Amino acid sequence: MERIKRLLAEAGISDYIVYGYTERTAELFFVKKQLDTRRIKDVEKFVVTVFRTDEQDGKKLRAATDVTVLAAMTDAELLDAFKGAYFAAQFAMNPYYELPDPVQAPTVEAHGRLTEQAPEQSAGEMAAALFKADCEPGAFLNSAEVFVIQKHAHVISSRGADVSWVEAEVNGEYVVQAKEPEDVEMYRDFAYTELNTDALSAQAKEALSFVRDRARAQKILKSGNYDVILTDENVMMTLWFYGERTAANMIYPGYSTWKIGDDVQGETTGERITLTMRALAPYSREGIPMRDRALLENGVMRSTHGSNRFCRYLGAEPTGDYRKYSCDNPGTMSFAEMQKRPCLWAVTFSGFEMDSFSGHFGGEIRLAYLIEDGKMTPVTGGSINGSILEAQKDLVFSTDRYAEIGYDGPYAILLKNVAVAGTDGEA
Amino acid sequence: MFERLDAVKPALQKLIAALRERYAYASVLATAERFRSWKVSKNGISLSASGLDGGDGYVIRVFDETGCAEYSINAFSEEMIPEIVKEMETRFAAERAALPEGISPMPTAIPDDSPAVLKKEAKYEIDPMELGDEAILALIGRIREKGLKADGILDIFCGVNYSAERKIFLSENRDLDESHMWTNAYVGAMGARGEELKNSYRGYSVLGGAELLREVENDVDHVTGALNDLLRSEPMIPGEYECVCDPDVTGMIVHEAFGHGVEMDMFVKDRAQAKQFIGEYVASPLVTMHDGSAVDECATWAFDDEGTLTGDTVIIDKGVLRRGMCDALSAMRLGVKPTGNGRRESYERKAYTRMTNTYFEGGDAAKEEMIASIPYGFLLEEPTSGMEDPKNWGIQCMVNIAREIKDGKLTGRVFSPIVLTGYVPDLLKSVSMMGGKVQLAGGGYCGKGYKEWVKVSDGGAYMKARIRLG
Repeated sequence: MERIKRLLAEAGISDYIVYGYTERTAELFFVKKQLDTRRIKDVEKFVVTVFRTDEQDGKKLRAATDVTVLAAMTDAELLDAFKGAYFAAQFAMNPYYELPDPVQAPTVEAHGRLTEQAPEQSAGEMAAALFKADCEPGAFLNSAEVFVIQKHAHVISSRGADVSWVEAEVNGEYVVQAKEPEDVEMYRDFAYTELNTDALSAQAKEALSFVRDRARAQKILKSGNYDVILTDENVMMTLWFYGERTAANMIYPGYSTWKIGDDVQGETTGERITLTMRALAPYSREGIPMRDRALLENGVMRSTHGSNRFCRYLGAEPTGDYRKYSCDNPGTMSFAEMQKRPCLWAVTFSGFEMDSFSGHFGGEIRLAYLIEDGKMTPVTGGSINGSILEAQKDLVFSTDRYAEIGYDGPYAILLKNVAVAGTDGEA
Repeated sequence: MFERLDAVKPALQKLIAALRERYAYASVLATAERFRSWKVSKNGISLSASGLDGGDGYVIRVFDETGCAEYSINAFSEEMIPEIVKEMETRFAAERAALPEGISPMPTAIPDDSPAVLKKEAKYEIDPMELGDEAILALIGRIREKGLKADGILDIFCGVNYSAERKIFLSENRDLDESHMWTNAYVGAMGARGEELKNSYRGYSVLGGAELLREVENDVDHVTGALNDLLRSEPMIPGEYECVCDPDVTGMIVHEAFGHGVEMDMFVKDRAQAKQFIGEYVASPLVTMHDGSAVDECATWAFDDEGTLTGDTVIIDKGVLRRGMCDALSAMRLGVKPTGNGRRESYERKAYTRMTNTYFEGGDAAKEEMIASIPYGFLLEEPTSGMEDPKNWGIQCMVNIAREIKDGKLTGRVFSPIVLTGYVPDLLKSVSMMGGKVQLAGGGYCGKGYKEWVKVSDGGAYMKARIRLG
């Protein structure tokens, strides 16, 4: 960092933010119970954003250009990169904004085995947790990938910011398979900030159970409108619509017309949504201190969020970019109660999509349970094509909870009268 | 280009020699990249030189008694060789020691390392860096201003991305060196219908430089027109219809619906139904599918990220599935020849079997003939996303625009958004007409599942098929 600061000064650059980090990983790749490949990684990078100011017709302007540089680069190479970025910035002028208010603080350390022990050891333990679940009859783990990432981050700015922190994450994905009566598979991913072996074992056990049901699922879904239950990560993705629509970079250009204090859910007969943005790291990449913030309270927008520039433009406090939120609705119906009513519980899709611009959500169904007369029938095929702008008028959240790295909240959400394309007529 | 790699090459060869004293195989892939993106929209002007993760670095591959192991770094010098060798020994041993009980190494023969030497320079007419930031931002600014004059526009966004890259692959017997440049551009129009935002988008790509921008300037009318159609669109009535796919939608079907299913690392995992269909009809005889470097597009490289030379792989020949595409490790496990499809998101990531430029060959039908042949159906345009399902050959592709066809004519009614579903071979066997002009689009990135983004292109011609829409 000191070398970068010195060379930025030498290049005549007075306004800058530098986000530097080191990343150390251990990675394991499995095919069934065999080790395919193993990998390790050590990298260090610096994302340097240089700012330039100008004035046009009496109005102050600000431009920014970012460039990624490496410690291995020579002084001449670094100077060349900084000067090039600064030169380019003169052509990218935007309305003026202040850089983030500076914070100086000691390093925020992370604790726990994921941070403290060797990443190779953690990767082995998470792999063991995964394979521990692989003892279900009629289904098995087809393949898996485990990544353990230990990261040290450091932000400095020309305004005097100097903060650093340690973070660690384990993430990965796996595929479960069942061969009878149909040969089928299902994909799951996972991510934790702690060495959460129990959660991974439980998730894998559930996935093995689902894939067994997918193997006997039938293509009998008829086209029509259904009350649809979404669960776990599909709830998270559906609610992320509100995170996107409240973001400063959506509001500033007018893509979102929402403002703080708006009742964004409109008239409802169902539950009113309450969401909180959760800080996963102590600072953003711009050095902005991050804390938990209310986003929606009973369907009313309480804050906007995002990078320094767009928050400044809106006259809002810069918050940094969030990767996690919680849905604080306690729910009004247990998941077991939800399953007693006629509906379609869509468990997994080929790829669930939530379009924050249009409000449309959906995807091709890999496994769903058609619930009629209290009977659950596994079905596959067909697709869901709904609109959250319509569905939000009558929502029901489950009292059962679910948590992962990017979400904490109700396990299930019931959406009324959603269009479903069935498999009528398919061979 | 990237002379720094020339300077470090002798030291990399010494690293390989040092590793060969301990390991049965050692190779290094060294990469250097220069990236730039320019964008204008209501959010202002943005200019970034950071690119995606990755950039300049090295991935070192060895084979030990547990199989393939890799180390990714972005700092290297001759002085660091002993430290790197020690780090690899220590941490690979730790990884091996921490493996769960009951896990065994996957038997994998060492990939072919027969001698090969190659040096290839990037081809382009105009280096975007020489054209300059000012000229590029002025051009996309003009395009935006022109588009904003159309009715019903909330925003016009326009951008250019460019990457110049050099890769060197070194092993005991291979010395491969290639530089490469691609440029992409895009123009999009956004409008609002109440709280619902609609957007239309068009992308452009070239294996080359800023010469691409000549074709972009006069095209903004297309996206503003399509946006106005979208603002009066209706929800799709689910059903199976006769459809005409435009070349972009054909490309998405090639790539998402079929291409992922013939990536042969999926054969190793028993995750691809295609494995059982080699030599069988999986498509109409009008369908011939290629992947590889026989065309000049963004994913054209002379060698892949494992040091395998690339070529033209015929996947489907007149409806018959001939073979898949394959990375080096999967090829050793399956006992087949690799096809040069071992690709990485960057030096920081593992190599998987990945598509490059994937497309259907053209036929002899005209788009107008296809539309005229349909009593009731749709013309599909603007693919937005897709998801693979190699195991069960299920289709999930999203399309922005379906234009209604009635009695062989477009009626002017537009439906949106559209989900394409069904069983891949059913769709491909239903192909009844194939257009003449093949167009490839290389503006996007392809993921393996939900990660591992690599630059690809895909395409084909206008194509008539029966497709389930929802």
